[in-house]
Amino acid sequence: MINKIAWGIIMVFIINNLVFSQDEFFEPSYTIGGYGELHYNSSKIGDAKPSKKMDFHRFIIYYGYNWTEKWSFKSEVELEHNYVKDGNGELELEQAFINYHTDKIGFQAGVILPSVGLINDFHEPPLFLSVERPEYSKYIIPTTWFGNGVAIYGQNKGLSWKAVVHEGLNGDGIESNYREGIRGGRQKGYKANAQELLYNGRIAYTGIPGLRMGGSYSTTKALRSEEGAKPIGVSLIEAHAKYDANRIMLVAEWGNINYTDHSAKSSTGYYVDLGYDIGQMINLSGKLYPWIRLTDINPSVGHDYENEKHYNKTMIGLTYKPINQIAFKLDYSTKKFLDKSVGEVTLINLGVGYNF
Amino acid sequence: MLLCTSLIGGDIKVDVEKTIRNQFGNDAIFSFQKLNLSSSVRTSIEKKVRQRFFKDFIYVWSIMDGDSVQAYALLDNVKGLSMPITFLVIYDIEGTIISSHVIKYREPYGGEIASPKWTAQFNGRNNDSDYNVGGQIDGISGATISVYSMSAGIMKLSLLFPKIKSLL
Repeated sequence: MINKIAWGIIMVFIINNLVFSQDEFFEPSYTIGGYGELHYNSSKIGDAKPSKKMDFHRFIIYYGYNWTEKWSFKSEVELEHNYVKDGNGELELEQAFINYHTDKIGFQAGVILPSVGLINDFHEPPLFLSVERPEYSKYIIPTTWFGNGVAIYGQNKGLSWKAVVHEGLNGDGIESNYREGIRGGRQKGYKANAQELLYNGRIAYTGIPGLRMGGSYSTTKALRSEEGAKPIGVSLIEAHAKYDANRIMLVAEWGNINYTDHSAKSSTGYYVDLGYDIGQMINLSGKLYPWIRLTDINPSVGHDYENEKHYNKTMIGLTYKPINQIAFKLDYSTKKFLDKSVGEVTLINLGVGYNF
Repeated sequence: MLLCTSLIGGDIKVDVEKTIRNQFGNDAIFSFQKLNLSSSVRTSIEKKVRQRFFKDFIYVWSIMDGDSVQAYALLDNVKGLSMPITFLVIYDIEGTIISSHVIKYREPYGGEIASPKWTAQFNGRNNDSDYNVGGQIDGISGATISVYSMSAGIMKLSLLFPKIKSLL
């Protein structure tokens, strides 16, 4: 009798533990998502005739598979400019990694993103106000910056962090594209030279609803192919903040890249966005943001042609989101270079973007 | 009782009951049940919220105060970017939210929605409240899909509560 009771207790314990070890809410599954954006751009230098173009700038598909709650695969394939032929357009594997996730810490390995600035990590078009991504996210932070590497990340009480070891940068590309910061040095995961790696660390605070503020540091030696040429030392430090609550959209990013053994000493820049959702005030369904952006970009500090490339830009715009995943955008801006012999640029952009 | 308890993942059940004890004290007495939701109830709410129920059932804990119930805790899931988000909403007997909690978050991004400051925004809301992100509910930069999904999920439970209260 005692044996039967004991066996009964043991069986209840085993059954409970067997079933409790399964999470019925999780099922191995595929995931699909994506985003895209269509742009109309009109650009005029001085009194010249404006150039006009329409471009389906980005079409992105996310694809993922979850084996277990902890182990998953995530990827993002991007087609830029709707066409790839003879050097036009780009087809890129921007993310493809194995992810191991627990409540406190996680790990990624594959094609990943260094965690730098607001837009490299979160670049879906409804998340930023302008038609094109901010120019800061091109000339200071070379979004989308992706490549082969590994990362660990974690989060605790409003603080999140990520540490990345990533393929480095190509020094030849940086030197020949000095007007674009380090953008020309990205290896994009293509047989990347791994003799020198990029080390990147980011910390962010999100403990207040609507607020994200953080910063990152990245460093590498960008190798050059010329015999005897020293690698370009690259140290990128940046700070970013975004407040999106109470109908206010306030964004600020600042970054500085210091170089050694390069024709420029540094690249530096910032932008500030301020928008306010007036949708409810005018009884409009959805959100309507009139907004303004101030930008200053100096990609080649100390270079002989510094003032030809250093500019500031004032942009005003209107962004309408009928639902949170779709944004219609209009912006107007003037771009003035410090070298007055470079003509003022007037830009008018229209666009629509989505994510799902 | 064994049948009921064995239908839910052990860690999740432990975390839910720890959350309830944090809210109502270590001596809190509660019972729990799996509640099947009829198709008609689910459909009417899904149309209004524009989000489907994760399953055709939820789990409910009834928290006692002596002989009478003082609160109900409803456990459900919503889809995040690629993984389910398991969350708990505790209601008073009138259907007003006392607190909300993320019990399990499974994604590398967007875990900030578990922040008590963010979930506190839902306190005091009920089936008549506004759950619109960007309106009455502030979002989280970098957690957009999770925020919209979770807000809609809590709204679903708030609309569900009056329809199931007589069954609890």
